[in-house]
Amino acid sequence: MAEPDPPHDTFAVPDPPPGRSGRARDALLVVWMAVVLLVAFQGGAVRAGAEELAPGVGRDIVEAVGGPTGWIADRLPFAEPTDDVLARLETASGPAAAPAGGGDGGGGELTLLVTGDSLAMPLDTELARRFAGSEVAVERDAHVGTGISKSGLVDWSQLSRRQVRRFDPGATVVFIGANEGFPLPRVGGGGQVQCCGAEWQAAYAERVRELIETYRRDGAARVYWLTVPMPRDGARQEITRAVNAAVEAAAEEVGDGVEVIDLVEPFTPGGEYRDAIEVDGRERIVRESDGIHLNGDGAAVAADLVEEAVARDRGDG
Amino acid sequence: MVFPSIEFAIFFPIVLALSWALMPWPRVWKPFILVASYGFYAAASPRYCLLLAAITIANQLGAVGVHRAASERARKWIVGVTVAFDLAVLGVFKYYGFFTDEIGGFLDSIGLGMPLPLLTLALPIGLSFITFQAISYTVDVKRGLLPPTRMLDFAVYLSFFPHVVAGPIVRAREFLPQLAKPRDPRKVAVGAGVVLILLGLIKKVVLADVLARQVVDPVFGVPLAYAGPDVWLAAYAYAAQIYCDFSGYTDIAIGIALLTGFIFPQNFNSPYRATSFGDFWRRWHITLSRFLRDFLYIPLGGNRGGRWRTARNLMITMVLGGLWHGAAWGFVLWGTVHGAALVAEHQWRYWRARADAQPDSPGAAVVRVVGRLFAPAWVRWAVVFNVVVFAWVLFRAESLTLAGDFFGQLFVSGPATLWTPVTVAAVAIVIGFQLLPERPLERLRVAVANLPAPALGLALTVVVALVGATVPGDGVPPFIYFQF
Repeated sequence: MAEPDPPHDTFAVPDPPPGRSGRARDALLVVWMAVVLLVAFQGGAVRAGAEELAPGVGRDIVEAVGGPTGWIADRLPFAEPTDDVLARLETASGPAAAPAGGGDGGGGELTLLVTGDSLAMPLDTELARRFAGSEVAVERDAHVGTGISKSGLVDWSQLSRRQVRRFDPGATVVFIGANEGFPLPRVGGGGQVQCCGAEWQAAYAERVRELIETYRRDGAARVYWLTVPMPRDGARQEITRAVNAAVEAAAEEVGDGVEVIDLVEPFTPGGEYRDAIEVDGRERIVRESDGIHLNGDGAAVAADLVEEAVARDRGDG
Repeated sequence: MVFPSIEFAIFFPIVLALSWALMPWPRVWKPFILVASYGFYAAASPRYCLLLAAITIANQLGAVGVHRAASERARKWIVGVTVAFDLAVLGVFKYYGFFTDEIGGFLDSIGLGMPLPLLTLALPIGLSFITFQAISYTVDVKRGLLPPTRMLDFAVYLSFFPHVVAGPIVRAREFLPQLAKPRDPRKVAVGAGVVLILLGLIKKVVLADVLARQVVDPVFGVPLAYAGPDVWLAAYAYAAQIYCDFSGYTDIAIGIALLTGFIFPQNFNSPYRATSFGDFWRRWHITLSRFLRDFLYIPLGGNRGGRWRTARNLMITMVLGGLWHGAAWGFVLWGTVHGAALVAEHQWRYWRARADAQPDSPGAAVVRVVGRLFAPAWVRWAVVFNVVVFAWVLFRAESLTLAGDFFGQLFVSGPATLWTPVTVAAVAIVIGFQLLPERPLERLRVAVANLPAPALGLALTVVVALVGATVPGDGVPPFIYFQF
């Protein structure tokens, strides 16, 4: 960086890369050929992908394209064999398992899975730090942008079963709820219900109950489900209240083996949003600037509550 | 909208076809590509389009004002105000939260625990790249290196969808001449563009994201949970990941621009084969390096004014370059390490020159011994490469505490739980390929680029399908440089 400024003509139009020049129609042929082949072999992926997008114009466009591409792919015999081949590759590139026993090479007595959406991300790191080197091995498996009411490629019902098979957790901490409020199938059938009335809460609670049962493993494991502190945004607050009510109802129905750890009162007393709370006698900012997530200090407060509950159940507290 | 996404797979074929169809009529093509680019940018958030438009208008007014101003004093004022506006936008969106946290923390520590108000100021995607390009335009007009262009052309330049979210930082002098007349549909670098797109997809989705998921994210998240062998692997894996992530993005961006008929400058040139830190910065994020050189280092005085002023200018440039990446102390330290390394290189060259001039001086003997030690290129490469790799730890760690944990765990014995054939091969491929002789690789690249269009189309299909298979259920993780 110490050389003098180069002559001005250095910044003329850059030279084209080496290789034969083609024509614009070749560019179109390459791109559209790929489009046609991908529709034939993987057209259903567009339709499935639309379900993963947040509501809005982008999702509407992808849905509009995904309908016909999925229809075409359904009528051609290529999708299934292609999916089989690609599924093998997907398995090979999956996430790595964390070392057992906090990296000390020994077998941990308790595997604690910390999962959820982006809400779980500062918390999982904090818990892993606290339990590092102890007899609790923390597995972190957050799935950003997902939600229990948001199905499609990431179906929490299926994901939770895969997690149990893969991590073999003795206890699971669940912190999820930043991306909820999507329509859910009505309990007992009869179409979809919109957020956030009693019917939606019942449908959401049904899904939560199913997840708790999966993580409980017939009573062999504990589940710690964290309620979601009130977000700053008013529209999100309504969803959060419905989510928390559904979680309470599901946990009550399951009974043994599940503990709801309330984060509403510690972070948002009286259900009122605030950036800062008193921690150890001092006022501290505990939320990210988006008004949804906990920051590092907030995650530490939540981790205190989880750590306390885990220690109590293990007889350490 | 990210390039490896379903939305872009729908957007691009349509825009490409319409772009070439309308290309012969610039009066139609330019508004079309402007609307398409704003649509691409609006996919992140439509509100950001207003900010992009505001930056465009402010800098165009500044450039025209500078061009028309009668006195040098007036020109300086206009440029000053325009650049201050750009930096203020960047400062508010990028650094407000950081300074709020730091000042709040300081007040808290002295017992004045009054948290400052937090604002929801999400960083508009690509803001740093947009403001840098806008600054380069206004300042180059002031320097007399190019005349102000028409508002429409400038708006197209600033928002052009292949580079709007993460560069490369294309200078106005490189792009605006390409708008002067329609691109020639008989001279399109189709093969080279497709090869870059294929390489970029593989680098980003296969190599970078697999390394992130399998090694980097777990270890950097909780270094204390991993022993030395895994932590060493994570350090080299992150060096490979960030190279693949960012160079992969710019490869795709340059490839897409080539298919639309536009040529962007090169942004990476095998940076991990550098044998000096100056060499590294001529190979890594080349368009940022030259921006910092031309708009910060040289205006500060560059290497004119003696050793100490050069050292000061290098340190200021690199620390601010670090801070450009984000409002965190890790970035500041990362810039400081690189600044110190560049200063050390300059000092070494000075000592070498003095030893040559005064061969009998006592210091000359020491310089000769050290010089012999570092004479083999592989020794210089090993030093530069490893300093770069471990400086990345400061860049990647979410806090200085975690960076400290990471360095502390390097020498803790324990099992290598993350050393799988996939992870080790990925690191070896990314770093090893940069060390191979360049000419055979270039010949291979040209041979693939010269394949007929149907073969390139088939290759693109296969790579897109394979890349799609390695994407986790929750989609392609964002490009690292989107946050900058």
